Amino acid sequence: MLFTTLTFVVFLVVVLTLFYILPRSLRRYLLLAASLIFYMAWRAKYVAIILSLITVDYFAALWINRKQGSSRRVALIISIAANIGMLGWFKYANFLRGIFLPGAHPLDIILPLGISFHTFQSISYVVDVYRGEQAVVTSYIDYALFVSFFPQLVAGPIVRAREFFGNLWSWKPPTGPEWQRGVAMILTGYVKKLVFADQFALAADSYFANPGAMPGFMPAWTGTIAFGLQIFFDFSGYTDIAIGVAQLFGFHFPENFRRPYLAASITEFWRRWHMTLSRWLRDYIYIPLGGNRRGPARTYLNLILTMLIGGLWHGASWNFVIWGGFHGALLAIERLIWGREVRSGWTRLPMTIVTFLLVTIGWVFFRAAKFGTAWYVLGQMGSSSTGHSVITLWQWRMALVALIIALLEEYRGVWSRFAESPAWVRTAVAVAALLVIELFSATDQTIPFVYFQF
Amino acid sequence: MGPGLQPAAELTRSKSALPRVLLWTVLTLFAFLVVEGLIFRTGWYANYLEPQSSAGIVEDYLYWLKHHPPGNAPEVLVVGDSRVGEGFSARAADEAAGGRTHFWNFGIAGTTPRVWYYELRDADPTRRRFAAIVIAMDHYSDEDGDPPVADRATDLNFAIARLRLADCPGFAFSMSAFAARGKALAGCVLKGIPLRSDLQHFLANVALRRQRSKQFHELGLEYINGYGGRDTNLEGLSADLRTHEIHFPPGVDVEQRDTIRATVTPDPAPDTGETTAYRKLWLGRILDLYKNSPARIIFLQLPRAPLHIPENPTPPRFLSSALRRPRVAALPRATFEDLETPELFFDGYHLNRDGRAVFSRRVAELTEVK
Repeated sequence: MLFTTLTFVVFLVVVLTLFYILPRSLRRYLLLAASLIFYMAWRAKYVAIILSLITVDYFAALWINRKQGSSRRVALIISIAANIGMLGWFKYANFLRGIFLPGAHPLDIILPLGISFHTFQSISYVVDVYRGEQAVVTSYIDYALFVSFFPQLVAGPIVRAREFFGNLWSWKPPTGPEWQRGVAMILTGYVKKLVFADQFALAADSYFANPGAMPGFMPAWTGTIAFGLQIFFDFSGYTDIAIGVAQLFGFHFPENFRRPYLAASITEFWRRWHMTLSRWLRDYIYIPLGGNRRGPARTYLNLILTMLIGGLWHGASWNFVIWGGFHGALLAIERLIWGREVRSGWTRLPMTIVTFLLVTIGWVFFRAAKFGTAWYVLGQMGSSSTGHSVITLWQWRMALVALIIALLEEYRGVWSRFAESPAWVRTAVAVAALLVIELFSATDQTIPFVYFQF
Repeated sequence: MGPGLQPAAELTRSKSALPRVLLWTVLTLFAFLVVEGLIFRTGWYANYLEPQSSAGIVEDYLYWLKHHPPGNAPEVLVVGDSRVGEGFSARAADEAAGGRTHFWNFGIAGTTPRVWYYELRDADPTRRRFAAIVIAMDHYSDEDGDPPVADRATDLNFAIARLRLADCPGFAFSMSAFAARGKALAGCVLKGIPLRSDLQHFLANVALRRQRSKQFHELGLEYINGYGGRDTNLEGLSADLRTHEIHFPPGVDVEQRDTIRATVTPDPAPDTGETTAYRKLWLGRILDLYKNSPARIIFLQLPRAPLHIPENPTPPRFLSSALRRPRVAALPRATFEDLETPELFFDGYHLNRDGRAVFSRRVAELTEVK
């Protein structure tokens, strides 16, 4: 059930209405049922996978909480193995088969929806219980709702257990401004997805469908920039809708994107891009590896290893490994040269441009279907022949509008001011957003969210 | 585990916020519909539609009609699809009638009776302008099509500028498939959805669109009336209707071959009654429009194919019932049968220049207001 379909809108209105009509004791059951229906709308039988993982992790956490000694560790390992095993089978079996059994036919495996997200969320809960940082959840329903809550089930944000249960157990109905902020987030998400992302998808797809047909410097750069814009608007649009929908139910989800293309370094980029994944990688990979506590060389290695895992999390191919390694290497180099300093002053603008270009180069590996294609595109980026831009004038104008809005928010906080503005201003902006969604959606076709494949 | 999902103390907060939020949401949606309506329902944007788009061409015809008031000669409007657009010349018909009757060609490619209804409703609001409405049917027989004609999604694109809010349920629910109904209803209520692409092109170059629109309004009718038809023909085409083998003359491209196959050796269609129901609804609504009008309604069966083919066995149920109404007539089925020859067609459906000349003259002679 895609957020961009009428089916989802109807589903949301029905669930919201029932949520506020039903007695409070029944609301968590409603949300869990709605979440499972949402999941099953995609492929009903796969609900067994998510329910089995929920069951394993739920009992593992109870065991960890009640026992002492090594059996706690065994329960933790079982839980992590179940999650990683399930993720590994569905996501990496064919990748590994290709490495160890070259020429073997790929297995007919369909990736369960959102498995990369809910497994990470589950692991974080069990690890937090093991570390004593999270109270164990005794209600199976509550825990199942944490893992499967439909707004964030498919593509995040990756919510920490204490954030979710803090909301659930001290639930407060949304205030008027919170409702309006939720609606505004949803509208923003739809504008980002339907108007911007799908528009840039047209340009990116036209190039990456057959890069060989458009040789030259301009198509390679503009095609990749188009993809960089597409994936930002697509993914941040999705999480905006997720955050907004959760807000309408009284749940406050963490921010996931903060104008990442205004970052002046790769380090800053990862503090602004998919922030909940960065946080997860930091807390459950980088720090356990030793973080920066074991000297500079180990820090650089840990950064690279963490980003390699982050890359592999996105997809089972060498392209994603290289993409992660590329970012890890850039993080290590930055740490070597500048330490953890965030750029400011006059160097910020040129560094922002350099960062954007480096991130764009990384997107080549992310988007190209094959390893060879990625190298070809990179070669064309350095080619002396020019070619033509695949981004149209209209799309450049849209990119400019987006940049102006991002700068206004970055330096003037227009979004925060909007939330405090008079009702008629909010109404006018909401009407404008609805018109923009209606009139400027890029296509009548439903283009799935990019992160659904992860 | 913590307390319940909604602590009782917070209930008041919830109750006070919800009505205000719901009111704001409803007002916002209402304001959106008002602004949307101001753009698309006041007729303002219809002036600037791409003149050669589906919606634009319908508006062009209505513009020309509105800006060419009737003269002394009685007027006859010939409505149909591309077969009328290609095969009928209003100017040739006027000449054949010796100026005693003035003909209008409302043959728009891709249109269907559903679209014709909305065109005619707005073309002749008083139902007093035309002495006769000639409705050109591809065949009198109620043979069914696949996919069903009732589900033609493109009808929305043609009729969109004509559809009023009150039309939306009737328009959408005249389609049979659930998805088609949903799409038609959404597009009819929110006209910006089907007109999205047109509007984006308009905004990309407002001055150019305004200029094109103006030019088409001023010169388009003259261009259409001056159109003589296609010069090519299908001489040498033959078919064994028993074995469905067709011999194509040289130079016939794939698209032409497909149209020839579709008309000369059509696949047998089941007789489900869908076409009868569709015609009874939409052609019936046209007849209802004119039931208190002095205008005659004349049906004709167009030349069907570039070769003479047997009549489809499905009976003309709609026409039989329509002919019981006053001032409704139909030209004999075989009236244009002699035009079903390769020399007078340029593809499987359409008459060429020579066919157009003969057909127009004969339509004028048979429908002229005496």
